[in-house]
Parts: sequence; structure tokens; C-alpha cells
Amino acid sequence: MYDSPISERQLTQQEIKFSARGVQVYYGDNHAIKGVDVDLEDKTVTAFIGPSGCGKSTFLRCLNRMNDTIDICRVEGTITLDDQDIYDKRVDPVQLRARVGMVFQKPNPFPKSIYDNVAYGPRIHGMARNRDELDSIVEKSLRRAAIWDEVKDRLNAPGTGLSGGQQQRLCIARAVATEPEVLLMDEPCSALDPIATAQVEELIDELRQDYSVVIVTHSMQQAARVSQKTAFFHLGHLVEFGETSQIFTNPEDKRTESYITGRIG
Amino acid sequence: MPLQWLFLIVLAIATLGYVMGRRRALAAAHHDRRRLHSLPSYYGANAGLKAFVPAFLFAVIWLLVQPLVVTNTVSNMLGADVIPDTSSRGLVMSEVRRAADGLDAAVAQGFITKDRARSADADLNEVTESLKSAGQIITSELTRPILNAAQRYRAMTGAGASIMSGLVILIALAGALWGIWQAKAEFRARNVVEQGIRALLIAAASIAILTTLGIVLSLIFNTIEFFRLYPAADFFLGLNWAPSFSGRGGSSDLGVLPLLWGTLYISLVALSVAVPIGLFAAVYLSEYASPRARGIAKPLLEILAGIPTIVYGLFALLTVGPLLMQVFGEDGLGWMQAGTAVMTAGLVMGIMLIPFVSSLSDDIINAVPQAMRDGSYGLGATQSETIRQVVLPAALPGIVGAILLAASRAIGETMIVVLGAGAAARLSLNPFDAMTTVTAKIVSQLTGDADFASPEALVAFALGMTLFVITLALNVFALYVVRKYREQYE
Amino acid sequence: MTETALNPRPMPVKKDLMVEDANTRRRNAAEKRFRAYGLAAILIGLFFLIVLAVSILRNGLPAFTQTVVSVEFTLKAADRDAAESQLFKTKAYQDLFIAELAGKLDERGVEVVFDAATIERLLGKIGGDLRAFYQANPDRVGEPVSFELPASSRVDGYFNGRVTRETLQDSRFLMAADLDLVDAMQEAGIVQSSLNWTFLTGADSGVDNPGGAGIGASVIGSFFMMLVVLVLSLPIGVAASIYLEEFAPKNRFTDLIEVNISNLAAVPSIVFGILGLAVFIQFMHLPQSAPLVGGLVLTLMTLPTIIISTRASLKSVPPSIRDAALGVGASKMQSVFHHVLPLAMPGILTGTIIGLAQALGETAPLLLIGMVGFVARGYPDGFVAGFTEANSAMPAQIYTWAARADASFYDKAWGGIIVLLVFLLSMNILAILLRRKFERRW
Repeated sequence: MYDSPISERQLTQQEIKFSARGVQVYYGDNHAIKGVDVDLEDKTVTAFIGPSGCGKSTFLRCLNRMNDTIDICRVEGTITLDDQDIYDKRVDPVQLRARVGMVFQKPNPFPKSIYDNVAYGPRIHGMARNRDELDSIVEKSLRRAAIWDEVKDRLNAPGTGLSGGQQQRLCIARAVATEPEVLLMDEPCSALDPIATAQVEELIDELRQDYSVVIVTHSMQQAARVSQKTAFFHLGHLVEFGETSQIFTNPEDKRTESYITGRIG
Repeated sequence: MPLQWLFLIVLAIATLGYVMGRRRALAAAHHDRRRLHSLPSYYGANAGLKAFVPAFLFAVIWLLVQPLVVTNTVSNMLGADVIPDTSSRGLVMSEVRRAADGLDAAVAQGFITKDRARSADADLNEVTESLKSAGQIITSELTRPILNAAQRYRAMTGAGASIMSGLVILIALAGALWGIWQAKAEFRARNVVEQGIRALLIAAASIAILTTLGIVLSLIFNTIEFFRLYPAADFFLGLNWAPSFSGRGGSSDLGVLPLLWGTLYISLVALSVAVPIGLFAAVYLSEYASPRARGIAKPLLEILAGIPTIVYGLFALLTVGPLLMQVFGEDGLGWMQAGTAVMTAGLVMGIMLIPFVSSLSDDIINAVPQAMRDGSYGLGATQSETIRQVVLPAALPGIVGAILLAASRAIGETMIVVLGAGAAARLSLNPFDAMTTVTAKIVSQLTGDADFASPEALVAFALGMTLFVITLALNVFALYVVRKYREQYE
Repeated sequence: MTETALNPRPMPVKKDLMVEDANTRRRNAAEKRFRAYGLAAILIGLFFLIVLAVSILRNGLPAFTQTVVSVEFTLKAADRDAAESQLFKTKAYQDLFIAELAGKLDERGVEVVFDAATIERLLGKIGGDLRAFYQANPDRVGEPVSFELPASSRVDGYFNGRVTRETLQDSRFLMAADLDLVDAMQEAGIVQSSLNWTFLTGADSGVDNPGGAGIGASVIGSFFMMLVVLVLSLPIGVAASIYLEEFAPKNRFTDLIEVNISNLAAVPSIVFGILGLAVFIQFMHLPQSAPLVGGLVLTLMTLPTIIISTRASLKSVPPSIRDAALGVGASKMQSVFHHVLPLAMPGILTGTIIGLAQALGETAPLLLIGMVGFVARGYPDGFVAGFTEANSAMPAQIYTWAARADASFYDKAWGGIIVLLVFLLSMNILAILLRRKFERRW
């Protein structure tokens, strides 16, 4: 295993949020994740990079048990959030997901108003006691997602009517509205144009103040721009994990180097 | 000449045309098919089609037009004095027609000779007697003008049939000859035949339009005829439905409102059974059930949709009705007088509509993109919260469309209400009362003994028109909503 | 508590994942309830299906059996001459039969008191039947002949539990006391149940003879109608679909056709009945109650269904097949008729069979064109004559029985439903088998 010596080498500045040990994921007979050990820190942006089908998205979806919704998917090993095993029988995935939010590849606003999109999470988790509180949560979330100024006059317009970049920021606002501790982002910019991408990347950088952010990305430039830590996945293995600057300038593994220089992928 | 024979003769001419056309084309190319523009069979098909299609079309048009012309001529023959005050021209004409049909039958069975049936001064009593012995029903006295009109009617119809047979055969022969004459090597037979076939295809597709046109015209003409005999305002605003049974005018109350109320009430009961059950079943099947359970439960539920409505009607009349009587009848709660009631029909109709609602909603729920569900789960929503607050609202337009289609089904349903809802038209709120519907009354007014030309029978067309307009509006709107919904996620 | 109350938002306290908080508990309970509603809906639907199936089978199966009294009867020549010399000849035959039956019962040690009226109620006008038999077969006089006499439908009801001594109300059809004789005959073993051939092959009887009613004639009526529907709707439906799917340009005319077809598919069937009545009977003067007219109406009703399913199967043939045919120089028409149509044929046939099955069960339009209340005269010669002779159809026949006042016809109606459903079921199974055998995944 390559993982353990790497993580031992890290200078841990932040508290560990997620800790994975020996994680195996199977889709039916397909072995998608092969023994991943990794520690993800709080208030840090961690990027997962790697070629298509390397398992980075699958691993991301293990962190809030989104894989539970797929019948044939089976997860082995342990993943802990604040030292609690999230795959423990007693854990309700619903409660877990309230703490580990997720933003998806394609913007997927609900066919409701902008306000209702953002208020959805707080409502189902019973976070607001009255309308005023809910209003303030919505406003705060939209502000944090840097979209408040664009939509404050049309909160009752349908969320599906916004542009792609706005929709994705709306989805981010929707995710932060439930006050998660970790935000998982699955290629959040792949469906966006460069300007919208820049806006979202800026936003991710700001979100680091409060959250642990894990982002899956296809773009190495993006990983270099937004993340402090980078994990490189290849064929279901976590090949290398470390400081972003180090991974991009001085990778230890041949495969990482080949990928970064464009020879595989 | 019977139509079957005419048809067979034309078919024979067409076949002959095919064989000859093919042979002539081959002969023209000196039996080397490579010299022909098209395959030999196309030359044959050209002749065959030219023989059959125009002749067939001509016969169809003739058969449609002839009754119009004959009826019109004979009707003009009848002076105004022949028509009694209590009757109408339509009623007298149907008597004429019946007398003519009766004469046909009497001649066929040998109760009267052909000549006697034709002669203008035939003895009225003798004719009446022979009609009776031929088993023909005669409603009123046969009078001299009517008998003469009937004879004229027979004569014209008979002559028309002979002329048509001759013309049809001539047209077929001419077409065949033309096709055979065309069969030369350089003739582009394939293109011509393909154009012909294309025209036939278009004609087949147009039958849908013709059907709609037929429905609309037959409803409109008869409805107008009805409103001539019965004031439209009384029909649309009347609170009372009490047709007289004599079938001859008299004082009938033909108000549509009690029937519409019965229709809507029963549909409402049916939908309040079918919509919750169907919708929950669809949600369970598409969101919760394992593929195995779905594979078993879905087809089983759909069996309910494949069962003919007469079965449901009988089920309502003989099983559900008595069952409800045990609970709500005189021995139970005392709310119900008879087994046939709004509740009985509504309940059974609801059962029939369950699979209709569930399979339509199932399709619609499945069309909601998975990304919506993921988005909701990612925020920590439970499955039921996702369904109730994300999936169903997203699918709402489609589901509304499905429910409207089900409503149109319920409004147009006939057999269940004929057997299960009772026959009394009344405006009542008690769901255990017997009520009746538009469809049930269409059946009872048109299957009774009332003459087609009487208001009691014609009212069925006005009812049909009402039904058609309501269901058409519902369907058009529902299909529009569903299509818009589909486009949203495509 | 006051601190949190002052705070506009709940504090982001680190929650313990292992402990289910109150909110989650409540939400999970709601989840379970919701799921249970869904399951309950399915179960209710299936429950209705079972109730329907059970009531059809329980009520319908008795229609297929018939209670028969089998008696061996010997008519002596002297008795016959004596009977023929009397004024009421059939009465004399009846008396002879009663004497014989009483003797038979005595022989087996069963004692019961009965009179001529009882026999008449149980077995009908037996004297006339006997006399007719011996007049037709004079050579059988003097030798033992075994008669199988169908008992009245009330006796049928008594045997299959529909009529009990308690529920029976004395009427001219059956008295409670008559059941003594029935029991006695059963004890003596001369009553038995046999397959009711009359029901399977016969035509409808009059309103006062439920025992003689049969579904057979209307099966043939339905068959004729389905023949008309098949012969018309398959070619027309396929032709229309080919035009719309393969040739039609996108224009207003095509749109009009499309809208028409999708609307016609949802028009109530009774409206098609009105159309049939107005156009085929009032306007074109085709004969009432004829399978031809029924078939025409059902054709118009089935066409949209067939067109919709045919278009779906044409659409499922990939465009590459068409391109391949066009590529070797076939005309568009040839590519469709030589390649696309044969490949789509299994799907088309499946759709047609399902459309036919729908048409077979349709009742409402048939009522309007008069295929109801038909009692065959001169059966079986009368109806086989063809498409333009008056006849009934299975669903219309069932309706006729259901609408009669005499409850004995209800058995026949349920039995008719079983016959109808057997036909529908076999058609659907045929469609499924066709689909299985020829299903092609591109």
C-alpha cells in the first residue's frame, strides 16, 4: 500500500475530519475501489483527481453513503467521521447526509422556486422555528454561495430558470443551507462555462473558511487552483496523497507523474 | 346483384389485369426482363390497381350518396298534407322506409308477388296482411301515400343498385385495359405503382380524420334535429329527466343536468378510489419495490385494466351491490335502498381505473431524472420526503394529465353504470342513492322502442354530443399537459 | 434553553451519529408509514383482483354443469295406445312416466310423495318430450330406453348451493316441498351432474327458459365480428402507420391526423356506437344486429390502438436498415415493404392481437347497433348464414342475461364471462408468446 507512508509524512495542521481505512467498494462483481486508506482534514479543500473510471467519484459517494441508493453497491472497510464509523448499523444515513452535504456534477435544482430550493434542507431537518429564521437562513446561504445579489429580487422564480452557473451556485447554496460540516463536490464545474467555473472556484476557496471541502475534478488546473491537498486515484487505488503543490511539482509515484504530464488519462 | 358478388367480380377483373399486364410487359421486352424499366410484377400491379381502386372507390361513394338522393326524392314526393301534426317528416320517412323493407322481406319470403308489391294501386289490406305474415312490425296504419312512397323508394333503390353494378364493372374493365395498354418496356411502372400505393397509404391514414368527421357530423345533425323538436334551453338547464315511454312526443322532460350530476358524482367516487390507490401503488412500484416484486405486481395489477367492462358491470350488479347492501342497506345502516347506487358503480369503476392511474403515473414518475432524487438525498432527505417534496411535485403536471385521462375514462364508461348505478335520474347528494349517467341514458334511449326520429331517441345524440365535447376537452387538455411534461425532461 | 432561544439559528453542535435524534426518529416513522401506504395500495389492488377472480369462478362454474335426471323408461305398446286414445295425450305420457319414476324410487327403498305438478316444476313438460320421442322412434316402443332429462335451473341452484330450503320462496318455478323429491332422487342415485353442452353450444333462449340458454351462438357472432375487425383494421392500420412513420412530411395535414388518432384512442366507446348507429344503420341502411356492422364499429374503435402500437414497432427498427436498403438502390417504398415491415411484423401482430382482445370485450357500442336481446330462430341453421344476419356477441349476450329479471340467468352471465375471459386470456398469451419468440433487441 502506498497510502500509509504518505499520510504519516503529512504535517497535520488541521483536525482530521474523515478517516478511511481499507475501503473496498464493489458494484456487483466489479471491484471499483481497492483498499483505500486516507485522512481528510477539516477546513481544507481536498481534490480527488485521476482518469475516468478510476473510482474517485465512487469513493466520494461513500463519504455520505450516497452509494446506499444503488442496490448492487457493497462497501467494506471503515470510514469514520469525527471518529464515528459512518457505516455502523446504528447510523441513519439521513442524519449523516445532513452533516455531509453534496453538490453534483450537473446542476440539479428542484423544479421549485429559488427560495424553496434553498429552504428545502432546513425545512426537512427542522432547523428553523419560524418564517423569519428560515428567511435568514436562505439569505445567508445565498450570500455564502455568492448568488444573493443576482436572485434577491426573484426568490419566487423557479430555480430551473437560472443560467447553468447560477444553478450550480444555487445548488451550493442549497447544500450549505443545512449547515454541513463537510461539502462533497462531484465535478461541480464540468457542466459550466469558464466564467461560471471561475465564480464557483472562487466560492470554493471561500467555503474553506468554514467547511471541509472534498472536490472531484477532471481538470488538474482546477485541482491546483483550489485545493490544498490532492489525492490521485488510478484503477481503484489511491496512488498518491499529499500537499497539492508537492503532487504537482514533485510526485513520488510514476503513475502520478505520467498522469500529470498527460501520458495516461 | 349482391355486393359480395360485385366485389368478387371486380377482384377477378383486377387479377386478370395483373396477369395480362405482366405478360404483355414481358412480351414487349421479348421475355428479357432486363430490358424492362421495372420488374414485371410492377406492370401487372399497375393494371390490377387501376382496375380495382377506382371501381371500389366509385362503389363506396355511390353507396353513400344513393340513400341521400333516394330519400330526398321520395321525401319531396310526400306533400305537406301527408304529414300529421303530431309527427314530423323524419318520422313519416322512417315509416316509408320500414314499409319498403317490409315489402322486400315479404317478396323474399313469397307472401306477395313482385308485381303486386310494385303496382301503384295494390290493395292496402292485402299488403298489410302480407307484411304481417312476413313477420314485419307495422307501427301504424299503412296509408296510400306512404305505400306509394315506399314503392317508389324500392324502385329507386333497386334501379340504383343495378346501375351501380354496371358502372362499377365498366370502370374496373376500363382501368384494367388502360393498365394493360401501358405495359410497355419503357413505361416507369414502379414509380406509378409506388405513387398509387402512397396514395392508398394516405387514404388509410385519413380514415382517422373521416372517423372523427363521421362522429362529429352524425352527432351534430341529429342534435340539431333534436333541438328542432325540443328547446335547447330546456335540455341544458332542465332539472328533470322523465322521458315519456310512448315514443311519440308527448310531454317528456329531457333535462341533462341530473344526468351530468350522476355522471360527475360517480366519476368523483371512482377517482377518489382510483387516484390514491393508483398513485401510491405507482410510487411504491417505481421507488420502493425490488425488481422482482415489481415484475410480479405490475402485470398483475394491469390485468385489472385488461378485463372487459361488462365483467366489471356484472361484478357491480351481482357482487359489490349485494355486499354494500349488507352493510349499508336496511339490515345494516339503512342508507341504501337497492344494490345499484352511485357507490356501487363508483367503487367498481375505481377498481377498473387503478391500473390506468398507476401505470400512467409510474411512467411519469420514472421520467423524473435521477439527479433530482440525488440532490434531495444529498441534503439528507429521507426517501419519502424526496418523493413527496421533490419527485411528486416535479411529476405533478404529468400526474394531473393522467388523472384527467382517467376522469375522461370514467365519464365515458358505460357498462358499469348501466348495470351498477340504477336507472333513476335524480339530483341527490347521497352516494347510496341510485342515479344514472349520460352514457347509461344514451343506451336506454337508443335501445328502447322509440322511433329514431322522435325526441326521446334523438336526445341520445344530444347526450352523446355533450359527452363527446366534455371528454374531448379533457383529453385534449390532458394530452397537452402530458406532452408538455415529457418535453420538459427530454 | 434561553440561550438557544435567543440564538436565531440552532447552534451547529456536533451531533452524535450513533444516536437517533428526535427529529430523525419522527422522520423515519413518517418514512415507514409512507412506505406502508404504498404497500397497502398494491395489496388492495391485488385484493380486488382476487375478489373479482373468485366471484367469477364461484358464480360462473355452475353454468357449465347441469343436473340431469337419468331414468330408464320402458313404454309398453298397450300403454302407448291407451295414451294416444286419450284427450290429453301428453298428460297421459306424463302419468306413465310418473308411475315409472315412483316405481324406481320404491325399488330402491326411497319413499316420497309427489304429484304431476312437482314433476312439471322439476323437469318441465316431460310428457310432450316423451311423446315426441316415441313418435319419432316408434320402433323403440317396448324396449327400455334411458332418458337423460335436464332438471330445471332452480334444481341446479339447489345442488350448487345458490338455492337452499331456507332461502327458497315458493313460486310457480319451485316449491320448498319439491326438494323432498329432489333429495329422494339423489338418494336413489338417479340425479347426477353432467357437462352442460347446451350452454357451450346453444343460442340464447327465451326469458322463461334459463336452462336452455347457451353462449355458443354469440361466440360465433363474436368470431364473425373479429374476422371483420382483423380483415379491415390490420391492413388499414398498418398502411396508416407506414405513411405516418415513414413517408409523412411534417405539415398541418399530418399533424391533424396525429391529433385525431390520439384523441380517437380516448373517445368513449359508446360514442363509436352512436357513430355506427347514425352512419351504418340510419344512413347506409346496413342491417341491424349484424356482425358486419358490429365489426365495422369495432374496427373504427380499434384502429387508433393498432396504429399507435404499429408505429411503435416501426420506430423500433433502426434507421441503419433503411439506409442499407436505400444504399443498394431500393426505392423508399421497397425498403419499407421489403425490410422494415417484415422486421416490425411481430410487434405489429402483438399489438393487433391485443387490439382485437380489447374489441372482443367491448359491449357498449354493440348495444346501440342492436346486437342485444337476440334469440336465435331455427338454430343452428339461422346464424351461420353470414355477416349480415342478425346475431349476438359474447359481451352483449352476457349483458342481455345480466339485465333479465330472472336470477337464474345470472349464472349464465357469469359462465359467459368465463368463456369470454378464456378467449381473452388465450389471445393475450398468444401475444406474449409471439413477443417472446420474435423479440429482437437492436
